[in-house]
Amino acid sequence: MDVKTVLDVAKFAHISLTDEEAERYCKDLGDILSYFELLNEAPDCDERGVNPIKVEDVLRDDVPKVEYDADLLLKDMDTYDRYVRGPRLS
Amino acid sequence: MTMDATLRDLKKINEKYQMFHTMTDNTDPCDAKFLFSAKDNLTSKDMETCAGSRILEGYHPIFDAASIEKLREVGGKLIGKTNMDEFGFGTFSANSGFEIPRNPYDTSRACGGSSGGSACAASVIEDHISLGVSTGGSICCPASFCGVYGIAPTYGRVSRFGLIDYGNSLDKIGVLSQKAGDLREYMKIIAGKDDRDPTSMVQPDFDTGYKKMKSVAIPKEGTEGLSKEVESVFKEAVEKLKSMGVEVDYVDMPSLRYAMPAYYILATSEASTNLARYVGMRYGHQEGDHTLKFDDYFTEVRTKYFGDEAKRRILLGTFTRMAGFGGRHYAKAREVRQVVINDYKRVLKDHDAVLAPTMPFTAPKFDDISKMSALDSYKADYLTVPANLAGTPHLSVPCGYDSDGMPVGMQFVADHWNESVLFSIAEDWEKQFDLKRPEVSI
Repeated sequence: MDVKTVLDVAKFAHISLTDEEAERYCKDLGDILSYFELLNEAPDCDERGVNPIKVEDVLRDDVPKVEYDADLLLKDMDTYDRYVRGPRLS
Repeated sequence: MTMDATLRDLKKINEKYQMFHTMTDNTDPCDAKFLFSAKDNLTSKDMETCAGSRILEGYHPIFDAASIEKLREVGGKLIGKTNMDEFGFGTFSANSGFEIPRNPYDTSRACGGSSGGSACAASVIEDHISLGVSTGGSICCPASFCGVYGIAPTYGRVSRFGLIDYGNSLDKIGVLSQKAGDLREYMKIIAGKDDRDPTSMVQPDFDTGYKKMKSVAIPKEGTEGLSKEVESVFKEAVEKLKSMGVEVDYVDMPSLRYAMPAYYILATSEASTNLARYVGMRYGHQEGDHTLKFDDYFTEVRTKYFGDEAKRRILLGTFTRMAGFGGRHYAKAREVRQVVINDYKRVLKDHDAVLAPTMPFTAPKFDDISKMSALDSYKADYLTVPANLAGTPHLSVPCGYDSDGMPVGMQFVADHWNESVLFSIAEDWEKQFDLKRPEVSI
């Protein structure tokens, strides 16, 4: 792990770091990732589930339904003309 | 006592212990059959929900989490939302954007995390149950530090609808209480299928009958690295179990030592994607500068409002998902999860539960926590992480006290969907265990 990688990852994750923070996280992540090398000693396994139990797709009936009033959902959101307000795209 | 007086007393207690981030102002008795609290990552329509994060300040959900909804339906009154590590990221509830709960037995010590406020409320308030959420040990750890009973059920047993996700493949909602019997009683209410959470739809019926625990297996790996006092209290507790007719065997479970790194890779990978939604739009703080380009706007809000540990886990999870590293470690972590599950299944074929101390030490002082590195703190989870990675139900019971009077817990892990044997051992244990409640003054 090096500071440049930490800054690249932070940019990707939309987090800005000061020089001091980048150094500190670099050391922390370096220590943590070194410890994770322990996994190299772990036995292999053919199975790689996403969930710890078997999960099936359970779909509800394909009938339109409105669970929540849109105005209620929007009440605490910063909106303009019932659209959620956001930053510039370009 | 009127509801008004009860809430007034609880507010005074909260000044000392800081278990609640938000408390209800509704003094209407509304025929409440019981009072309960819930971890602040469970949405509640009458109280702000922040999950311990300043980025969600001001978020007022318009729906209840399924577990809160069910408790209200049977006459429960939600009195408060409990303090926690930000989004569940911690072992001591000290990584909060808000108040840090204080241990009921010694306020200079932590409650454990991340459901620390819930464990504190369950310990301090008479006849109270609190909903907690466990991703890597966040129910059993604080239950152990605060001297209460706590259960994290099988993954998928309780609907996660309305839970603010940390790691979707790991999060489980459970119950903490001073009374063992409450775990069975209230889990019965919150368990069950819910089509709003597909992972809850495959569960078998919830067996609520008594099922005596006849045998436990103690893995060698679960008794390494303990403090002297925890080791000694645990040994005594094992002797008591034997005297109760529980057969005790000692086994090897070599996979357990790989669970911690596998857990942190999977949990932070999932967390970093879940937290991508918090960008200063729709929930919480939304006062960013809209003249900025979206990348800069998102970065400004996230940098300002995420705490130190949230940033660390986002960075770690983002990195582990990146090409190169991801192929090497993420896939391996998924394999290790299966290896751990297989190891539990092997041992649980001949035993009712796997047993070990819940935590390797008793509740540490805040001064000592501040000196721990991030890795030290992650390593402290090595006893609670394996069952969480495997999605197996696990329960912590108070089993003794150290020389400072701090509680020690022991953790039973049962096979998937076999919660009933855990409830039964907790109830049997309670009959012969002398629970020392903390002295609570208003």
